[in-house]
Amino acid sequence: MSSAGTKLGTQDSAVPQTKLRALLVEDNALDATLVVRALNKDGFDVAADVVQDEAAFRRMLRSHPPEIVLADYNLPTWKGMEVLKVLRSEGLDIPMILVSGALGDVTAVECIKQGATDYVLKDGLARLPEVVRRALREKHERSLRQQAERDLAKKVDELARSNADLEQFAYVASHDLQEPLRMVTAYTQLLGERYRGKLDENADKFIGYASEGAQRMQVLIQDLLAFSRVGRNEPTSKTVDCNAVMQEVVQTLATTIQESGASVSYAELPAVWADRTQVAQLFQNLIGNAIKFRGEKPPVVAVQAEAAGERWQFSVSDNGIGIASEHAENIFVVFQRLHARTEYPGNGIGLAICKKIVERYGGKIWMESQPGQGSTFKFTLPAHGPDGKQEVKADAKHDSKHGARQDSKSEVQR
Amino acid sequence: MKPASDLLMVDDNPADVALVCEALAANKHRSRLHSVGDGVEAMAFLNHRDKYANAIRPDLVILDLNLPKKDGLAVLTAMKAAPDLRQIPVVIFSTSLLRKDIVRSYDLGANCYVSKPGNLNDFFFAVKSMEEFWFGFVNLPPRGE
Repeated sequence: MSSAGTKLGTQDSAVPQTKLRALLVEDNALDATLVVRALNKDGFDVAADVVQDEAAFRRMLRSHPPEIVLADYNLPTWKGMEVLKVLRSEGLDIPMILVSGALGDVTAVECIKQGATDYVLKDGLARLPEVVRRALREKHERSLRQQAERDLAKKVDELARSNADLEQFAYVASHDLQEPLRMVTAYTQLLGERYRGKLDENADKFIGYASEGAQRMQVLIQDLLAFSRVGRNEPTSKTVDCNAVMQEVVQTLATTIQESGASVSYAELPAVWADRTQVAQLFQNLIGNAIKFRGEKPPVVAVQAEAAGERWQFSVSDNGIGIASEHAENIFVVFQRLHARTEYPGNGIGLAICKKIVERYGGKIWMESQPGQGSTFKFTLPAHGPDGKQEVKADAKHDSKHGARQDSKSEVQR
Repeated sequence: MKPASDLLMVDDNPADVALVCEALAANKHRSRLHSVGDGVEAMAFLNHRDKYANAIRPDLVILDLNLPKKDGLAVLTAMKAAPDLRQIPVVIFSTSLLRKDIVRSYDLGANCYVSKPGNLNDFFFAVKSMEEFWFGFVNLPPRGE
């Protein structure tokens, strides 16, 4: 036998045969023949090359890449286990089965740990065909899985890119649209003011429509810009004390709160790991909505939080007009409105921004409500950063003119 | 009576120049509005070059940021680097609300930054306020120094 490789022919058989290109690492010609015979007896049509040292093995891998490697454990000049190293170094995913005379349990386990599919004793070769079939099946499944993973990674990549493109597009478009629109707005207004009553009645009306339309579009574009801005920059997350944020929000909404006679209360709120400005925007939009969509009674808005694993689940509940459950989803879609503009002003951007903010931090936002019974908006935010970092907050005082007053100290767990 | 004040507006949008002109029309400061459409023209005007050999030295420059040929920040830089121009107050008048534009403008020595309002009345108010502040309230460096 030469180390360059020996061909072993196939044998006739009546059973339908699976063609199999095998590479045997074996120094005993008789054993090699027995191995091939065992496979041919049980459904294979084997074309086998036999090598017994590393150089020949490497050569054969390149010239006749096998579907399976069957290696003896003990060779005069080479250890069968080295085969696995070669396969790895060549970047080849070819199943390898040890076919050996005697193999201790410890060695066998070690071989499998190193990546051998299985081992078969030379006096138990009848088991070999089944082992080979399993190895080939696993290899097939592995490559399917890898292909699926590659496809998925590619899709994720494409999606991320097209998402980023869209963000960029929305930003540029809305920014660049503002400029010409400003001209339309300003000059229709100027026409309206300067020529009011000097043309005919219709002219005043028409100019009024044009001017209102242009002004509304301006607001829409500004909203769109605000919406696209949420996703534009990487969030600068840090520990944000929600009590302090609420205090700010109550101040910002002071006029609205006062005019509507609203009461805004918040229980001891935790700190979250997010961008402070975005957290404030989130609370402000939700509380602003709670007050805006009020019923006959003065609005009562309550903000609470409870632990939910690694997150805090917040709820903002009100006693307003409520929302029918069939609208629970589409209220979060950009520019979706449930009411006439004359009834409740707005462009339907507030909740869309809320959703975008919450989802940026891997959270969820949803609504629970019944018409006439008020609504509760719930959302989750991370309790701490990826490394579990969370500074312990000291005391916080909440004092809203129309809201609940609390002087207790806030202690953030974890 | 105070002499009329001269204002140089650097803006590539004639519609904006016309609006500023409208805003200034009913004023008591009798400001004269001069305008150029890009940054290169602006520098020529300020340095009395070419067709601007007889151009007047403005008391105030209203400068847009997004300009052809030489942008607003480049004009601002050139003005603040020139000993004979750096005393002229520069108002940045731009649609941009970007933080970086605002910060950069002040870094480069802008005297104030005003965003162009989208609403006509706000726009007029902004221009009239500028005029009132710079020509009615502030002490500007004497002319010809």
